[in-house]
Amino acid sequence: MAKTHGSDRPQATAHPAEIVREYGPFAGSDKVAGVTHDGTRVWAATGAALVAFDPATGETRRTLERACDAGTAFDGTYIYQIAEARIDKIDPATNQVVASIPAPGHGADSGLAWAEGSLWVGQYRDRKIHQIDPATGAIRRTIESNRFVTGVTWVDGELWHGTWEGDASDIRRIDPQTGDVLERLEMPGGVFVSGLESDGADLFYAGGGGSGKVRAVRRPRRTTPPAA
Amino acid sequence: MDSLIAASARALATGDALGALQRIALREDPPALALRGIAMAQLGENLRARELLRRAARGFGSHEELARARCVVAEAEVALAMRDLGGSDRPLAAASATLSAHADHANASQARLVAARRLLLLGRLDEAAAELAVVDLRGLPPTLRTLAELAAAELALRSLRVADARQALMRAQDAADRAGVPALLAEVAEARAVLDRPAARRLAGGAGQPLRLDEVAALLASDALVVDACRRGVGAGTAWRPLARRPILFALARTLAEAWPGDADRDALIAAAFRTRHPDATHRARLRVEIGRLRALVKDVAQVEATPRGFTLRPLGEREVIVLAPPIDGEQASLQALLSDGAAWSTSALALALDASQRTVQRALADLEAEGRVRSIGRARAQRWLAPPLAGFTTILLLPASLPID
Repeated sequence: MAKTHGSDRPQATAHPAEIVREYGPFAGSDKVAGVTHDGTRVWAATGAALVAFDPATGETRRTLERACDAGTAFDGTYIYQIAEARIDKIDPATNQVVASIPAPGHGADSGLAWAEGSLWVGQYRDRKIHQIDPATGAIRRTIESNRFVTGVTWVDGELWHGTWEGDASDIRRIDPQTGDVLERLEMPGGVFVSGLESDGADLFYAGGGGSGKVRAVRRPRRTTPPAA
Repeated sequence: MDSLIAASARALATGDALGALQRIALREDPPALALRGIAMAQLGENLRARELLRRAARGFGSHEELARARCVVAEAEVALAMRDLGGSDRPLAAASATLSAHADHANASQARLVAARRLLLLGRLDEAAAELAVVDLRGLPPTLRTLAELAAAELALRSLRVADARQALMRAQDAADRAGVPALLAEVAEARAVLDRPAARRLAGGAGQPLRLDEVAALLASDALVVDACRRGVGAGTAWRPLARRPILFALARTLAEAWPGDADRDALIAAAFRTRHPDATHRARLRVEIGRLRALVKDVAQVEATPRGFTLRPLGEREVIVLAPPIDGEQASLQALLSDGAAWSTSALALALDASQRTVQRALADLEAEGRVRSIGRARAQRWLAPPLAGFTTILLLPASLPID
């Protein structure tokens, strides 16, 4: 196999993920395909409906009936949601789709994040993350990972993504320029990550795939400034 | 899983196989191949389904052994639905072990159930029982639970443990009700109907009284001396003398039992055992020899005494003598009665048991096979004949529940 940019560098520190809390499974569904955070609530894509819950209590606050097959992101106003081979831009206030763009992986997409005017889309089995124009879907840049990508999020200038390959899953920070792995949070055996979102502070929310759960995972405290 | 796979699986879960296919029709990556395989199986395209599942299993990487194992199980279930029983059972056993090792208990149980049903269809009843015994029913989804109980009922019926079969069927009904799958409910109903159908006749004074399976079992368990023309043997209480491979002795036993409590005429015995209406001294001499053999064989339960015109059966103690015959007359009925033990018979063993020529038996089997009332496995000398399973094992595929493409 051709060598990709993103090889595991030996200095990538790995430690077990600290799971703080579990939410779900949510009524009417047994899986979570994507997660996002709108500042107060966590949104989980459960296949046929987006479920918003209060992370403090775990109570469901809203449910939007929308096809939601993979990653979810929030830009401050709209929810972006991968459904089949497109990305829907949904107004959470009205549950209307205000725009749709083709997904860069033509349906092989998984994982979605919003940052700095771009959408970041994981392409699952192709082990890629695309940076795309949220208005047109045009690809601006592609980062290679060395694991299947199941979730993408940006926090404090750090690019993190969830992986799920075969029988192992982790949450890893990668260098957005080179794809090099800088840090890894290993999930316990049998616990998988599908969808990833940071709350902007010290937690990640990770979709749990077929378990139907969303897990809050602690983000490691930074002792040294992040390598960029 | 990625978005189109998720969307396709979502469609499949609602029964929309075509919708599922439409989303991934052109994709060749292993999860897509697996989903296409499942969708094709649900559309009844078993051959194509098996090919797709096989390619999916090959396509998954070595680190994706869970996904690979699930594909192997799905492929085995499709093969079972196709009644293609020729392959090796090793890949399925390996997949089952992999699933157990990864604590995927539902799919590991599914693998064992597929293996057990395959063994039942192959007439390897002991192995099927061993496989079923290790399936942990607790925590199984109701669909799988239904299948497990149906297989248990089938095993019990084959060995005439009717009470056990009845209980297993009750539990199957219960599980099927919870599963709410119409095809499963129909299968359970069909299996339960088997218990109420005539399974044999009790012959007395030239007339036959139809018996249900549990009545047959009760008779066989009673103290009576039973000459069983279905399974070809003589039994009393727990003692059972199989005579399937000794047709002359069985014909004599049956003739004597039908005449009981009277005696059977020498010429009638010769006609039944040697198939001749013109007995001579040599036949009488052979009759004496065969009666001597029969006497030795049944000496624990009955005596065979000479009378002025022939012989009579005198069961020891206060035993009654009962003759069981297949529910209807004829070569085909006798064949089916023999096969109803669920074991795999060769043509020559059947011919021997029925004291008919192999050609006659082959003709009767061919007719029965055309009507779907017997099945054969293997070819040429290795060909074996089996009764269709009582519990049906129709082609219900539980694949979607068993194969989340993670």
